[in-house]
Formats: sequence, C-alpha cells, structure tokens
Amino acid sequence: MKTDELAYLDWLARVDALRTQLAQWAAQPVDWEPLRPAQALIQRLLSRMEPLRVRWEAPLVVATFGGTGTGKSSLVNALVGEDVSKAGKERPTTVRPIVLAHVDVDLSTLQLPLDRVDVVRSDLPLLRDIVLIDCPDPDTTETESESTNLGRLHELLPFCDVLLYVSTQQKYRSAKVGEELGKAAESCRLVFVQTHADCDADIRDDWRRQLEPTYQIAEMFFVDSRRALAEQREGLHPSGDFGRLMTFLSRELAATRRAGVRKANLLELLDQGLRRGIDLVTPALGALDDLEDAVVRERRKLGAKMAENFGRELLACRTLWERRLLAQVTQSWGMSPFAGLLRMYQAQVMVLSTWWLFRSRSTAQMALWGAWQGAKWLGERQSLQAEEERLSRLTDFGIDPAEFRSAQVTLAGYVHAAQFHRDSASDERLDGEAAVAAAFLNEASQKLNRLVDRAASRNSGWWTRLRYEALFLIFPAFLIYRIGRNYFYDSFWLDKPLLDLNFYIPSALFLFLWGAAFLWRFVTRLRRGVQSEIQELTRSLSESAAWDELFRPLSVRCRRARDQVAQLQSLETTVQALRQSLEDDSRLGGRHARV
Amino acid sequence: MGNGGVVLADLAGLVRQLHCALVELQRETACLSLESLSNSEWFEILERKLLPQLGEDAWLVVAVTGGTNIGKSVVFNHLAGFRASATSPLASGTRHPVCLAPTGFETRHDLATIFPGFSVQPWTSADDALKDGERDFLFWRTSPQVPENLLLLDTPDIDSDAPVNWRRADAIRQAADVLIAVLTQQKYNDAAVKQFFRKAAEDDAAVIVVFNQCELPEDEAYWPLWCRTFCDETGLKPEWIYVAPNDRKRAEALTLPFYERHVPDASDLRSTIDRHPNAGEGPLPPPSLQETLSRLRFEEIKLRTLRGALLHLAGPKGAEAYLAEIRLASGEYRSAAELLTAQRLAEVDHWPTPPTSLLIKSIQEWWAQQRAGWPGMVHALYNTVGDWLMAPVRSVNTWLSGPTEPPWAAYQRAEWNAVVRTVEKVFERLEWLSQLGHELLRRHLEPVLAGTARGDFLERLAREHGEVDFSRELERLVGAELETFRRENPNYFQFFQRLDAAAAAARPGLTVALSLTGIGLPFGEAATHLASHAVWQTALHVVGDVAGGTMAAAIGDTAISSTAASGVAYLQARFHRLQAAFTTSRVAWLAERMERNLLGPTTEHLARAVAAPQTPAFQQVEASLKEIRGALERSGCALREDLLSTGEDGHAETANLNHSESLRG
Repeated sequence: MKTDELAYLDWLARVDALRTQLAQWAAQPVDWEPLRPAQALIQRLLSRMEPLRVRWEAPLVVATFGGTGTGKSSLVNALVGEDVSKAGKERPTTVRPIVLAHVDVDLSTLQLPLDRVDVVRSDLPLLRDIVLIDCPDPDTTETESESTNLGRLHELLPFCDVLLYVSTQQKYRSAKVGEELGKAAESCRLVFVQTHADCDADIRDDWRRQLEPTYQIAEMFFVDSRRALAEQREGLHPSGDFGRLMTFLSRELAATRRAGVRKANLLELLDQGLRRGIDLVTPALGALDDLEDAVVRERRKLGAKMAENFGRELLACRTLWERRLLAQVTQSWGMSPFAGLLRMYQAQVMVLSTWWLFRSRSTAQMALWGAWQGAKWLGERQSLQAEEERLSRLTDFGIDPAEFRSAQVTLAGYVHAAQFHRDSASDERLDGEAAVAAAFLNEASQKLNRLVDRAASRNSGWWTRLRYEALFLIFPAFLIYRIGRNYFYDSFWLDKPLLDLNFYIPSALFLFLWGAAFLWRFVTRLRRGVQSEIQELTRSLSESAAWDELFRPLSVRCRRARDQVAQLQSLETTVQALRQSLEDDSRLGGRHARV
Repeated sequence: MGNGGVVLADLAGLVRQLHCALVELQRETACLSLESLSNSEWFEILERKLLPQLGEDAWLVVAVTGGTNIGKSVVFNHLAGFRASATSPLASGTRHPVCLAPTGFETRHDLATIFPGFSVQPWTSADDALKDGERDFLFWRTSPQVPENLLLLDTPDIDSDAPVNWRRADAIRQAADVLIAVLTQQKYNDAAVKQFFRKAAEDDAAVIVVFNQCELPEDEAYWPLWCRTFCDETGLKPEWIYVAPNDRKRAEALTLPFYERHVPDASDLRSTIDRHPNAGEGPLPPPSLQETLSRLRFEEIKLRTLRGALLHLAGPKGAEAYLAEIRLASGEYRSAAELLTAQRLAEVDHWPTPPTSLLIKSIQEWWAQQRAGWPGMVHALYNTVGDWLMAPVRSVNTWLSGPTEPPWAAYQRAEWNAVVRTVEKVFERLEWLSQLGHELLRRHLEPVLAGTARGDFLERLAREHGEVDFSRELERLVGAELETFRRENPNYFQFFQRLDAAAAAARPGLTVALSLTGIGLPFGEAATHLASHAVWQTALHVVGDVAGGTMAAAIGDTAISSTAASGVAYLQARFHRLQAAFTTSRVAWLAERMERNLLGPTTEHLARAVAAPQTPAFQQVEASLKEIRGALERSGCALREDLLSTGEDGHAETANLNHSESLRG
C-alpha cells in the first residue's frame, strides 16, 4: 500500500513536471510565426488538463455514444434496471442529456453543466463508482449549434472518462459517427457494444476490422437491452453478453481503477495535443531548411567573391610585396655587402609604400602592411556607424556593396517564406560584418606571413646567398683593387697621377648599374612562384571560417526556432514514455498510441 | 404536355451549346482558380441528366437509394425478381451501381452515354457490385421483369465510411427520374440521408419511400411520424409509400411483402401514379412494388424531372451562380490589380551620373564628326600627333600606378549598386503590399517574393546588366541630343564652329611660336595637346559638378531663355540635359526589366482574370442561359427561387393526357 501510494505520488509529480515544461514552452517568446499556433494549442491543452487533474478522485463519468436509434437509452435503462431515460422510435429520442448518479455522489466536483442536463438520483450499487450519462446522438445534426444534439454532445464530452460506444448492424460503418468518435476518443476510454441482438446479425468481427487500425479493442459486446431490462425487473442478473457487460463494467470501472483510467485519458490527450502541435509546425520546417541553406549559399558566394577580390588586389600590390619579402630576407641575413644593398633598396621602397598606404587602402594592402598598422586603421574605420557608411566600408574589405545587398535581398525572400517576424529581421541585417572583416583580415595576415616566410626562406639559403654575395663582390672588389693599386702602388712608386673624376663618375655609374642588375635579378627571383601561391591562398580564404560570421543573426534565429521544435518533440517523447510506463491491465478500449 | 415535350426537345440543342460554352469558359477562366465545374451539382446534372436524356424518347431511370445496410439490395432484388445484387449482413457491401434494363433496350440505346463517367460492364454475377477499387463501374443486364422503357438501378450507400460510394450514389441520383428511398427507423433522420434526399427534392425527382425493417404491427403508428419528419426535413413529397416488415428469412427468399400506404397528408398527394384500387385497405393482399413501377406515368415524370433539372440549371443555384462567381472573382482580381498598380513601387534616387570624362569624350567624338574642311584636318592631324607623342607618357603612368580598370567599370559598379538598392526597395514594397490583407494579391505576390525567385531575378538582372554596352548607349544618346541641339539652335552651332575653326588656325601658329622660342618639337606639341585636353576637361568638369547638383535644372533653364547667357552657361545646360537623359534611359532600362522579369507574369495573370467576364465564352453562356430561360417561360414553367415547381399547370395538362394506360404492364 505504501509503495503504491509512493508510486502514485511519483506519477503525479511527473505529470506536474510535464505540465510546467509545457507551460514554459507555451509561454516562451518566439519570432518564428509557425510556432505561434502550436503555442496557442498547448495553452488550450493545459486548460483541458486542469479539470482532469481536479477530479482525479471523483467517480468515473461514463457516457453513451452512438448514432440515433442504436439503443443508447435502452442500454442505460437495462444497466440500471428501470426506465430512467425514455427510449423511443422517433429520431432523435433523447434531446436533453440525462445524468444518473448515486444519491451520495457530490456532482459539483465533476463540474458538469448541471443546468442543461436532467439529473436522476438512485441508490443502485452500480452507481456507487460511476456517474452514467445518456448522451444525445451525433448523427442527426447537419449544422452544429448549441441547441442541436451534436452541440449538446460536444458540451458534455470533455467531462467524460469512459464512452460506451453503442452501434448496430445498420450504423456501425456510419461515416459521421466514426468521425465524431475519432474526436471524442482523444481523452476517453472506450467500451464497444453492439445492440439489437434480438433482431440483428452479429457484425462484431467486421466492426472490429474497421476499428482496429485506429483503436485498441479488447472486448466487444453484443447485447439485447430489452431482454436484459426485463430480466433485471424480475430481479435476475441479466443473461448472456449483457451480463458479461455488467460484470465487465463493475470490474473495470471500480474505484481502484479510477486513477488508471484517468491517467490513460490524460496521457492520451497530451499525446494527441502534442502530436497535433508538431504536425502544425512540421510543414513549415521546409522553409526553414531553405533559409538555412540559402544563408550558407550566400555566405559562400560572398566569401568566394571577397577572396577573389583580395587575391586580385594582392597581385596588384607589387611594391608592397617586394618590401615584405626583402625585409624578411635582410632580417635573416644580417650585415653583408649584398644584404646592405638590399636594405638600402628596401628603405627607399618603404618611403614609396607608406605614401601608397595613405593614398589607397584595401584589405590586401592592409594584410601586407602588417598587423600593427592594420589594427589601428581598422579601429578608426569601425567607429563609423551609419548604415551607408558601413556598406561603403565593405568595399574596403573587398565586398562590393551591391553584392552584399543582393545577398540581403535574396535572403529577405527566404526569411519571408520561412515566416520569420519581419521587423526584427531588418534590424539585424548588417550586423556582424565588422567582425567578419576583422576575422578575415586576421586570417589573411597570418596566411600571408606564412607565405612570405616560405618565399623568403626559399630564396635566402646559404648557397644562394653565397653566390649572390660572391658574384656581387666581383665588381666592388675590382674597383677597390683598382683604386687601391692606383693609390698605394702606382702613385707612390711609379709616380703616376691619381685617378680623377673621369674615372670615379663612370665607376659610380657602373657600380649603380651593377647593383641594380643584381637587385633586379634577386627581386625577380623572390617573386617567382609567389603568384601561384597567392592563387592558392585565395582559394583557401574563400573557404575561410570567417564567413560563418556573415548573416549570423539569421542563423541564430533559425537555430532557436529549431530548438523550440525539438523541445516540443522531446516533450512528446516524454509523454510517449509515460504512456508506455503505465502498467495497464485494463480491458477498456482506446486509441492506439501513435509511434 | 405534348407541347411541353416538344419545347424541351427543342432545348436539347441549346443545352448542348451551353455545355460547350461552359467547358470553354472553364478553360478560359482557369486563371481565376475557381472550383472545378464537375464539383457543382448543377453541372453534374447537366452532364449526367440533361445531355444524355434531353431530346431522347422517354425512358425512366429508377434508382434504389439509401443508407448502408438497410436492405437496398433486398428491395432491388425484389423488384428484379431474382438475386441481381448480392446482400450481406455486413455494411457497405454494394460498391458499384447495378442496372437492369428491359430486353432489347441496349440495341436502341447506349448505356455508356446514359451514364457518363461510369465504365459500363455486362453483369456476370451478383457479386460484381462488391468489387473494390477507385474505378467507377456500372454492371448491367437485361431482364424481362423490367417494364419497357425503364432502367432499374441498385446504388451504393450514401452514409458509410467509404466516400467513393457516396460519389457514385450521387452520380446515379443526378441521372435518375424516380428514386426509391429506402428508409429505416434508425436512419430516416440521419444527417447524411437528409442531405442526399434534399438534393433530389431540388431537382423535382419523383420519390417512392420504402420503410424497411419495420416491426409490424407496432410500427404502423410510427411510420406516418417518420414520414412527416423526413418530408419536412428534405422537402420531398413522396409519390407512394411502402412499409416492409423486418423478416430476414423472407427477405432472403425474395418473398418480402411491401404494404402500400397512403401519404399521411392528403394534400401532399401527387397524381403521377395511378392509385391501386385496394390502396390503404389493409396489408392483404400486398401489391407488388414492381407493379407500382409499371404504373408510373412515364412521360409525365420524365417531363417533370427534365424540367426540374432545367430549372435547376437555369435557376439562381445553377449556371447563373457560376457566372456570378466568375464576376465576383474577377472583381476581386480587379481590386488586386488596382492595388498593385496604384502603388509606386520605388523612388529612384542616388542614381550615379555617367563619368564626365567619358561624356566629354563622346561629345568630342561627335564634334569631330561635325568638323569639315581644313579645320577638321588640322585638328585631326594635331590630335593624332598629340596622341602619338603622349603614348610613352601614358604607358609610364600605367606602369607606375598599376593596371587601371576599363573606363566604364566604375560607373557600371555604381549603377549596379543603385539597381540593387532599387530592387531591394521594390521587394520591401511588395512585401508590404502582400501583407495588406488582400488574400488574392498575396497569393500572387508570394511566389514573386520567395527567396529562389529573388535570387533568380537578381542573377538574370546581373547578367543582363553585364551585357549592356554603355559606351554605345552614351554615343547614341549624345548623338541624338546634340543633333537636336544643332537643329534647334543653328546660330549657336555656327558660333561654336567658328570658334573651333579659329582654334584650328591658331594651332600651327602656336607650333611656330614654340619652335621659335626654342622649346620646339616634340615637347611643345605634347604640352599643347595636353593643355587643350585639360581645358576641355576642367571646363566641363565644373559643368559636370554643377550639373550633378540639384540647381542645374534651374540654371539650365535661365541659360537657355536668357539672351545675355554666355556660351558656357548654355553648354552647362546642354550638358546637364545629356546626363539627365542618360540617367533616365538607364532607369527606364531597369523599369522595363522589372516589368518583364519580375511582375510580368503576375500583371498578365491579373489582366487575364479581370477580363474574364468579357470573354466570348462568358457571353455565350449568358446568351444560352437567357434563351433557355425564355423557352422555359414560354412553355409555362415559372422560374422559382426555391427551384421547386408545384407543377400546377403541368398537372392540369396531364389530367387530359393519360399516357400511362398504354404503359401498363
């Protein structure tokens, strides 16, 4: 008993937790439109859950359900053994629902609309555990309103726990009744009864075949209500299937089974509601996929474009290239005649390129120029806030504003089709491109540094250096020899005159030409192979991770919407698990749990 | 009666004409996305009843109808006199109609045209009708039991969970003249049953009610009540009523008695059936239902049901409703089109001006073409020499500053930027329009607004933009504009020509002067060439800057009107006009592309939909309908709102012409 109670409390706690989760899900802010109807549905579901929770311990409400003329009232009369509900031959007979309750039962706990039903009190033992309702039919009404039988039936169904589904040979395949049963069975257990056993053939097998795809059926009864009523009146226990039905009802609907029935009903309701919520959202997921794909596609397109522009600009910045490469080489070579020559040339190029940097700036130049100046320049640029300026700034990063805007226009179409809230979409349209630029520049600088290192080290090995130094020294050495010999030997010993300007001016000219030739040769050598490396660099940059930052807010919103759908699905799984964990030895029917 | 028959037969041609026009109209108004005609009751009646039956000699289609598992097939088998249709205690057995025809009927008539839409198959066994499947079959056989000129049909149910059965039953109902409504205590007031027979009442079909599975004698007190409810709910007035007991054994043995009963309210009686002499005098001897069929007044019923069908067709719930629907839908489209066209989709601003240097170049080229005689030769010579001299300078400059982009690239980029900005605005506007709440407009705009459509449009636009030859465009414009200038202001033109000639004269003079001062050729020549270019450029650059501003138009106007205006002011105005004309032509280019590639299909669709009520097919339908209505009125059938003719005058006629005598079996 103690364990039972604990298990029951545990179950209640799980239901409460589920309820809280559902409430949280339904109350969270969403900006993806298709989620809104699902949220509204869950809200309604929560309000439907409430009465089920409140009347947890009250007697089960058992109602008749079936087409007109199938003998619902006769069945009720036969069950209680007296004429409480008028059975007739004019259709429909029952217009006002009749509620049969035990004298001791407090009907107020059931929250029934007591002003619109007739209440009959009785002290029958059967009614100690249940409240019986004779409901109107669902199939004589063409257009539903409050004053029609279908309207009255719909009003009562939310309060019912078990339906006695009554049918006949004529009506067991009626489309209208079947459709209404589908709706009613969402939160009710079912008992299947074929009446008119006195005059109709037994169609239970065919009936079962029709119902089995949708419902789980343990028992089906084939009863003769008229004979049962007569037997009851004579004080006999009804014979045949009717007797079996009465035993079945008193066993399955006993007080100890209440919780089980209501649990099953509650979970059924939740399961159906969540499924429908998921069904509401699912068709819209396609547009969400499209949007995400489009974001990736546009990113890639812009990235490729930007990398391409970047590569083109790199190739155009010849002077800067030379400077970087020369700086790298001289740094590793230290002091020597040829290195000195390189240094001199580099200093002169430096002046030129500084001037160029101030004249026109581009990402490629920036990357070549180096991180320190680049960061300063970037910070300066980022302080501009207006949209137009931000757009024009894109040009500096190698993105054509028109290119970017085209992507935006296209994406706006996908955003529109995916039914995202438009306002917030336009707010964040240009966000993040500064981060993209920074990330891109960073990555490009690093890759360029590596590229320059590689190119420089390839051309500054000791053998190369030795050759260049040695060959370059030939002419200066010759000059020094010539001047030295003239000064120390010829003029001292042979009294020849010292060399005059006519010697030095051509010598300087030839030295200059000699140096220039070597410089030209060496710089050409440095540049060799760099072009193909730049193309390779462009390719790798077009697949850079930096592009993931483009249109980031859109991706975030997509992911959030997806998460919210996933939450709904996981709630559904929880309900399914709870349904399966429900140990049910009940023989009552109901809808199949959907898999 | 005979007269009425003749008129109806005459209508056959008109009805065929109407049908053709309707089919044509449906095809033409596909753009309105209305519901298919074959879903509307009146059109089904036109196709299933009027087309096959109008103008033919009279035969009656009698159909046994009702809910599932209430003994339709039992009643049918009793009428047939043998087990023509399988019966079973399980519901929804009969899937396809079964037709019994009098011997020799098939030689005179084609059953496939009488029952269009059905695949007509000869009957082989009672189980034929139980076949599953989507295809609509109709099984038939001849039977000597069936009265001459009568087709007897068993139909699928109208209320089970197999909607395909309802559809087939509806199709037979639409073709039928007489319905044998099989009802039971459980089903006489069911929603599905009431809906089915209400439609039959609207077409004025003759109905024989059979209350089956009654518990006699206690139900004798109830059937009048059931009948009253059924008639009140459906609006039917049964010709005859039978009551059959619930006796499964006799039903199986085909010996079920059908007791003839009076219609409860005598005023509801109709006179299309000759009364049985023993009617209402107790259950014995039970007259056969079959006999009743043979007592039907064929021609009269035929006339009545055809007339009912025609009244339905010509009445407010018939083709007229379809025309009204088209008008309404077309009106909706009109309002959508108005909404779309009333909106200015985008203001074009920040459109780039064409590069001044290129504009000047093309003016120069044009001017060069206008030069004639010696000044032209002098200028051409000097320009060629100048260009040749400047060539090394230019190449050095190119080497120093890296490769330069082609002259129009910058403009093209700027213009593309403006194009995309405009497209963006247009899409924003369209999105706003789509969300205005005009459902129809929304439906048409949504596909245009989708991401893929936008991407495709932009891609196509980009491709077309890339193919534009700007310099030719400019050349054409400059040519046209300056030509107008020359035509309209010959004085100014001459003035400029004289100036130009003077310059041509001065050029050799300058050369001589330069060589005298020692600077000499070729540097002096290059310098003058550069200088002359620079003068043009600066002069027109200033003009260009002014022209780019908003004040240019005003300045231009005064320049043209003022006689004191200097040549430069005049040039400024012309120049501004050139730039504006170029921009206008570019904007027009964009507008044309948008019209064609973006909104074209939508506006075209809207226009077609708006014009639907003006199409010949529409007017043909209207005219045919009017004629049919006129003919019906002439024949004495007043068109009534409720489509139920009391047939007062028809009855008066039939009293005199009792054809049924000859039809008695």
